[in-house]
Amino acid sequence: MAVTEDPGKPRNWSERIGVLQDRIYDKIFHNYVWQSIFRSGYPNTPRNQMLVVATNVFLHLHPTRLHRTHVKVTHTYCLGGLTFFMFLILTVTGVLLMFYYVPSVERAYQDIAELETNVKFGLLMRNMHRWTAHAMVILVFLHMMRVFYTGAYKPPREFNWVVGVILLVLTLVLSFTGYLLPWDQLALWAATIGLGIAGSAPYFGDETQLIVFGGFEIGPSTLLRFYTLHVIALPLLAAIFMAVHFWRIRRDGGMARPL
Amino acid sequence: MAVEAQRPAARPAEPARPRPKREREEEVLVWPDLVFIEFVAAVLFTITFLLLSVFINAPLLNHANQDVTPNPSKAPWYFLNLQELLLHMDKSWAGVLLPTVALAFFAVIPYLDRSRQAQGVWFGTKYAVRLTVIAAVYAVVVSAGLVIFDAGDRTHTESLTRWIPSCDTQAAHQGSPCLRDADPTKHEGIISVKDVSKRLQFSVPFPNIWGIHDKNLDWPGDLDHIPVPLNNVCGNIGSFHLWCDMHLNIPVIMSDQVIPLSTIAFLAVLIIYVLFRLGWVRTRRDVFLIMFTAVMASYLTLSMIGSFFRGQAQALIPPWDIKVDEG
Ligand code: HEM
Repeated sequence: MAVTEDPGKPRNWSERIGVLQDRIYDKIFHNYVWQSIFRSGYPNTPRNQMLVVATNVFLHLHPTRLHRTHVKVTHTYCLGGLTFFMFLILTVTGVLLMFYYVPSVERAYQDIAELETNVKFGLLMRNMHRWTAHAMVILVFLHMMRVFYTGAYKPPREFNWVVGVILLVLTLVLSFTGYLLPWDQLALWAATIGLGIAGSAPYFGDETQLIVFGGFEIGPSTLLRFYTLHVIALPLLAAIFMAVHFWRIRRDGGMARPL
Repeated sequence: MAVEAQRPAARPAEPARPRPKREREEEVLVWPDLVFIEFVAAVLFTITFLLLSVFINAPLLNHANQDVTPNPSKAPWYFLNLQELLLHMDKSWAGVLLPTVALAFFAVIPYLDRSRQAQGVWFGTKYAVRLTVIAAVYAVVVSAGLVIFDAGDRTHTESLTRWIPSCDTQAAHQGSPCLRDADPTKHEGIISVKDVSKRLQFSVPFPNIWGIHDKNLDWPGDLDHIPVPLNNVCGNIGSFHLWCDMHLNIPVIMSDQVIPLSTIAFLAVLIIYVLFRLGWVRTRRDVFLIMFTAVMASYLTLSMIGSFFRGQAQALIPPWDIKVDEG
């Protein structure tokens, strides 16, 4: 009769350590709480890998499978994804800035100045918000160029391209409305140039100035309007259009491929 | 088996052709292949921007002050191209209409270029790379060139047109075209396109009709106040005001609208036509390739000029001479 050893019994020290490691791993990843959050373990089979993408709320923006040419970095340079990532960073840092900022001409400038000196990581948050905002504008242009030069706007993706153009405009306007908020000289005079440009619109110049800028001069109502647009109206619109944009990529049969 | 054996042995063996792959086999899983790339990109960007933000601070100038105008005052960089255009043409074209046209042009591209050819790969048509490079270089050179021409007093392009004579300030009518000089001892050629309405003068013989009394139609004097039909009907329709006492300034329309816009249109048609005659433009896609590239390249060029070459009072100067007067 062959000797059947009990496979569960460690025979030496290295095996004992192995068992201990397994126990710790189990305690962390197989306990009740963890499993209530993540229903399955690390996805290490193709089936589970597809399941995790399909069932995770963040990952499910993706399809489960993808043509191999599209995972090549040189096809998209990740530009659309990075634009979206900038939007996420801007949302997080923006919320933190909102904690300390009051959009009134009496307080705005002072709030920003104090945020930089008196608030822990306040300066860092403001810098992050500023630089990623510039990056988002650059990235959205580059993404548009990537889409154009790969001919990815062609049928059936015409409408998603139009959604993209709307996102481009929203990105620019988001950035411009944010520019005014520190209420310093840079902000005021850049907005003044914008006011002049809006006022030169044929027939609707005055109306545009009144509605968007809240008057014929940059003042308290401009600040409040830009603030409201910047922190709620435009991000909400952008998020809605981004949702449509991502959904359409899936509906249009994934990303464009040669015939 | 027997049938196989009867095959003539001399027949050359066909080269083994790979079986065409089914779609599924060409696909990879999003987890881990794509998620990994996205993760790396996100981490790289997070680190980069954290470092950038640790070392470079966002600007915060003095408290906003309506009474103190910084010189030059500038729009954010992505609108500096519009601010640049403002210097060269009518402000509603520069600030509102041209950008609207450009965005509308972007939006309709897929509805005009509907072929499914050349999609999903970089530069899918035969001459795409060549066309893109040529269009980009052309747009940069042309837009920079026009800006340089339009600052003739600084860049000395006015000397090209200095052969146009100086106007005789005593004469009632100028006759053949001349340029009025503020300083009669210092004659200058065309400094900018605005000179067409500001400094250019000439007259042609004309019968005494339509308000002309001196048998001469003078540019700009007789043409800068042309009443629009029905301009005595003032009033409103709802909240929308009709024109009232509206007059056209033909010389200004020429210098601020017709000349700049037709120059742009002409230069755009020219490059497309030349590349077409060379046989490099084969499809509609190629036409849009040229137009899109040219729009993006001139957008960028004008932004750069606005950022680095505009000093006080928006004068065109080299970057090292720019001094900002905070007011
Ligand atoms: C806030 C702005 C935007 C975000 C967050 C965004 C995001 C994305 C993402 C993540 C993709 C997937 C592929 C990739 O990463 O390249 C994509 C694809 C696409 N985007 Fe955007 N995008 C934005 C703006 C634009 C703009 C301005 C355009 C064009 C005018 C555009 C047109 C398209 C099209 C047509 C596709 C499909 C590409 C293909 O099939 O290969 N998007 N976008």
